[in-house]
Amino acid sequence: MNYKNIVGIILLLTTLNVMSQSGTYAVFEIPEELKKNANAVVRLSNLDIVIERKNKMTLTYTRVVTVLNERGNKFVEAYAGYDNQLKIRKIEAHVYDEYGEEIKKIKKRDFIDQSAVDGGTLYSDSRVLYMPYMPTTYPYTVFFTYEMETQNTAFIPSWRPITGYYVSTEKDSYTLKDLANLGIRYKTKNFEEYDIEVKNNDKSLAFNLSNIQAKKPEQLSPVLSKMTPHGMIAVNQFHYYGADGYASNWKEFGDWVFNALLKGRNTVSNATQDKITQLVKGIDNPLERAQKVYEYVQNNTRYISVQVGIGGVQPIPASEVDRLKYGDCKGLTNYTQALLTVANVPSYYSVVQAGDEIVDFDPEFATLEQGNHIILAIPNGDELTWIDCTTQVHPFGFIGDFTDNRNVLLVKEGGSEIVKTTFYPDNQNTQNTNAKIKLESNGNFSSDVEINTQGIQYDSRFRIESLSNKDLMSYYKNLWGSINDLNVSSYKFSNDKDLVKFTEELQVNAKGYATINNESIIFSPNVFNKNTFVPDRYRNRQFNMEIQRGYLDVDEFEIEIPENYVVEGLPEHVTINNKFGEYAIEFSVNESNIVYKRKLLIKKGEYSKEDYNLYRDFRRKVSKLDKSIIVLKSK
Amino acid sequence: MIKKISLIILLISVSFLSAQEMEFGEVTKEELLETKCPIDSSANAMVIYKYRNTYFDVNISGGGQTVTEIYQKIKIYNKEGFENATRQIRLFESKSAREVLSKLKAVTYNLEGDKIVETKLEKNQIFENEQSYNITETKFTMPKVKEGSVIEFKYRVTSPFYWAIDEFRFQSHIPIKKIEARIKTPESFVFKPTFKGYISFYPKRESYIGSGLGGESMVVDVYNLDNVPALKEELYVDNIDNYTAGVNYELASVEVSLGVTRDFAKTWGDVAKSIGSSDDYKKELDKTRTFDKILDPILADASSKEEKMKLIFKYVKDNIKWNGRDGIYFQKGIKKSLKEKEGNAGDINLALVAMLRYADIDANPLVISTKDNQIPYFPTLEKLNYVVAYAEINEKQYFLDATQEFSDINLLPLRDYNWDGIFIDNPNKIWKKVSLLSPKQAITQYQIDAKLAEDGVVEGDFKSRLSGHQAYLFREEIKDQDMDAFITSREDDFNDIEISNYETKNTDAYEGNVNESFSFYQENGAEVLSDKIYFQPLMFMRMNENPFKLDKREYPIDFGFPFKDMYIVNVDIPEGYELESDLTPLMLRSPDGNIEFKYTVSVMNNKLRLSAVFDIKEAKHAAETYLILKEIFKQAISKQAEQIVLKKI
Repeated sequence: MNYKNIVGIILLLTTLNVMSQSGTYAVFEIPEELKKNANAVVRLSNLDIVIERKNKMTLTYTRVVTVLNERGNKFVEAYAGYDNQLKIRKIEAHVYDEYGEEIKKIKKRDFIDQSAVDGGTLYSDSRVLYMPYMPTTYPYTVFFTYEMETQNTAFIPSWRPITGYYVSTEKDSYTLKDLANLGIRYKTKNFEEYDIEVKNNDKSLAFNLSNIQAKKPEQLSPVLSKMTPHGMIAVNQFHYYGADGYASNWKEFGDWVFNALLKGRNTVSNATQDKITQLVKGIDNPLERAQKVYEYVQNNTRYISVQVGIGGVQPIPASEVDRLKYGDCKGLTNYTQALLTVANVPSYYSVVQAGDEIVDFDPEFATLEQGNHIILAIPNGDELTWIDCTTQVHPFGFIGDFTDNRNVLLVKEGGSEIVKTTFYPDNQNTQNTNAKIKLESNGNFSSDVEINTQGIQYDSRFRIESLSNKDLMSYYKNLWGSINDLNVSSYKFSNDKDLVKFTEELQVNAKGYATINNESIIFSPNVFNKNTFVPDRYRNRQFNMEIQRGYLDVDEFEIEIPENYVVEGLPEHVTINNKFGEYAIEFSVNESNIVYKRKLLIKKGEYSKEDYNLYRDFRRKVSKLDKSIIVLKSK
Repeated sequence: MIKKISLIILLISVSFLSAQEMEFGEVTKEELLETKCPIDSSANAMVIYKYRNTYFDVNISGGGQTVTEIYQKIKIYNKEGFENATRQIRLFESKSAREVLSKLKAVTYNLEGDKIVETKLEKNQIFENEQSYNITETKFTMPKVKEGSVIEFKYRVTSPFYWAIDEFRFQSHIPIKKIEARIKTPESFVFKPTFKGYISFYPKRESYIGSGLGGESMVVDVYNLDNVPALKEELYVDNIDNYTAGVNYELASVEVSLGVTRDFAKTWGDVAKSIGSSDDYKKELDKTRTFDKILDPILADASSKEEKMKLIFKYVKDNIKWNGRDGIYFQKGIKKSLKEKEGNAGDINLALVAMLRYADIDANPLVISTKDNQIPYFPTLEKLNYVVAYAEINEKQYFLDATQEFSDINLLPLRDYNWDGIFIDNPNKIWKKVSLLSPKQAITQYQIDAKLAEDGVVEGDFKSRLSGHQAYLFREEIKDQDMDAFITSREDDFNDIEISNYETKNTDAYEGNVNESFSFYQENGAEVLSDKIYFQPLMFMRMNENPFKLDKREYPIDFGFPFKDMYIVNVDIPEGYELESDLTPLMLRSPDGNIEFKYTVSVMNNKLRLSAVFDIKEAKHAAETYLILKEIFKQAISKQAEQIVLKKI
């Protein structure tokens, strides 16, 4: 018996199985506990993957979703993305009413075919077929199925039975059959708390999970994907765009990236080589040479993404970026690496999962699924200096919150490995605000303010330097939204890229800041850095808490009080110190001056769900104390 | 219908086609050296020259077509301006014909040392993408773009859809230094220009007698604009496209043969008539329908016409759900949409008209343009996209739109309140433009009864009653919400108070008011300093931020609907305290009387009483009112921020 027949039979069985179920999607059959907190119920999600040959894999997917109300529509997910190598063989959908009676059938030709290019991409061959159905009554159920085929076996879809809030799941299963003996590897995460059935042998793998209740989102919890089951799957031997590969661990995987994707794409024109040689001439320190090259790339290229076929993971040749002066993250990183080679500086192409949410590469499990961005590592003694070649504005060696503090794959011929990117500690993510404030007896004030930001706080701040005057005015009016009638009369910025420090020097005034009351003036001394964030209250919290990055704010405001006024009432000094951080305010009064000092440290960390309420109390106190008032009385 | 008209063959002599002032390739060093936009120093890029020439032509098989030539030269000042180096051209195709792009040429210019260096866009860097079944997009980005670069591109689009000429856009998100636009049409095809935006401009009209084949005369409109500022979107705007400068050409009539003209649209009456004479309005709608089986049992007990109207409105809402599509005509027809229980705006609201007529109510369709579809400034069929039902009972006007779950009679979805309506009364042969009844002022009453403790804690009860569109919006917001999450979001809205006993009333219905009530606890409800209590009596209900932040506004402010927020707050102040501060009331009113704010606080026998009213009597306010509006909001906010001082006796 050949493989083809086996597959035929398997497919036939699956289809029959599915058919026999299709009449039974009445809403009353959903167990009550699955309706709780749910806008939709996934009645069935079943993905069957069959690898017939090293270069032939079929994916058969069936998804049945009952949508309980309007907010549940997004869980239908009746669409299939495809491109030139991932082909849709079959696709169809059925819509059932509340009682399980079919109200509509959608055949392949009725699906809408659309380009799946996102806004940030110039061109891509990604397309999508999606079901055109406009629900008019709730609940309803959609039965959706497709069959796809691809030559690429380098990427095996992983299994994630829980991907959203307010959705429950009746049954979710996954099977993989390796008929070509490519060698299945898999790793499971967060399986412990769930009753998951795992079946595996040399040639197959199956996961099964039933009756998962809907979850509700909670502020400051880790991302859902970190808390819910995840089965990662790969095969050791694979095929990718016309070529075979092998990788069972990160080292081998890195070798494959190097040999199959990068090798031979790093030459630039003689003219550019000369330019770079000239640029770094006489500079001995490799890091300084690297900085010159990085700045050259920043000033001469820009990010434009074109993703076609293998171009989704392979960079366009450095020579092409050299000519067009644009590329995506792969292209620009590979180009920079090529220029660094000319400048005689070693560097390593590195794959990362970028985004302000920190997501690590799993050091023990190598897959193509991990990573969505490329950065470059430059050895600096025992350490690594990281650069992101897609940004034209970041300082050399500063990667900010887009790729900080996470495991990435560093690709090095014969020595690829998982390494960690730069970590920015709490007390280095600073904002120092110093202000001299002159308060008038009519309640107005004028002030000179200086704000210095560093570390992660630099990253969220320095971009304002390129805003137009109009946008800057709205920026400050929003930043200090609680100051009514604020006016910024002058501003000056300096961006120290060596120290990675951004300085704002401002002149600010406002009318009617203080309340005038008979003989007294009432105002809040924390003019420029009120932190009013209080985490939401949960009657019964489910998830732990995570603060991914800490920070430190230090403020000193010197307030000159109007003539003929004295301080009548002053808040007390406060110091709070706990596992979440520190808060301190103090006041000192001279003749015509009040000096207000404030410090707020928030510590990075993982905390239990019981800690959440304590943290909430802490932030409530900070919010209250930041609103404290001072009362002046006329002499 | 327009397609059927045979087009007189025209041949246009080439001599006056290219009248453009700047030629491709004429980039100067000055342009490359310029570091700041002379019109607007904050601009990241500027269009140096924007040229468009649209003219009538004949294709190989003798059919009519339009040709549009585009040429643009753009200066990039900084990195933020790079996005302007990526361009997209969208082409439309129908089943039988398509627009064609040709002669695309693009060059980037950079100054290297003292030399101007040209980099051409390579053919393989031009990407064509089928967006959807009738739209193809051609996309490219310019090579070697740096700060200071000048880019140029030109192309030509040939379109068989000659009756639908794309809008001429004279304003953009970056400033434009010089615009030249030309449109040349045969005299026998009367195209009517409609202008928009707050910049004034007029075309120069030229006629060329006998310049087409067969002696056809041509009409040319030429537009020249200089230094057009950028236009950016701000808060409270209905649709920014209403205010962007531009001109639309609408085919009004065609001279079919000598002296015989076929009109397409001229006055709103003509537009109404031409909709009225369509099959859908003339036959489908007026066909005698028997709704007896469905409607007779429902209407059996109804005594008045108003009652019948309400019942029919409810019936249509319950039985045909909106599929999200606009439309002034039927998508499915009455019978089919009733059977399938869904339809577009035409299916639903025309069915409503038909049923109201069955119940002997004077009802007619009213065709409109919704907010997302812009305001049609001149009579045109193309800019109308939606239909609602209109009924008159005892000379009272009723507007109905049954597409939304929470809409009511004379309470339309907000998108409907864009402009006027086109009244189509075929039975009485009345076709005209009429005003839409503006939305009624939505009145919200808030009442708080609270107790202030010596330590600054405030506890109490909150009650509110919402009417009109405030109730409508609340219903939409709370629908299908997880209650815990909703209460949490209310706690967030209200300055982190703690809420218990949360209740709402009448949120599932579409008629009547909505009530919301809860008890609250606020730990830092007031500030305590030595022997005094400082208290903002509007507490968590006070407005914190002025939504109007800019110094000037170029276009009207649209709140969506007029509203009046009324607050009554009663607070028991702690025993042994007395009022120390002066309580001055505030009363503000705009010169036109349309915006009003009143605020009074009094303390008597340990009871504080606040009453405040925010009264916005019109939904829309002219740009000139902006500063007044901003000032009233500003003063209202600072009044609400005032601390009341209570002193221990």
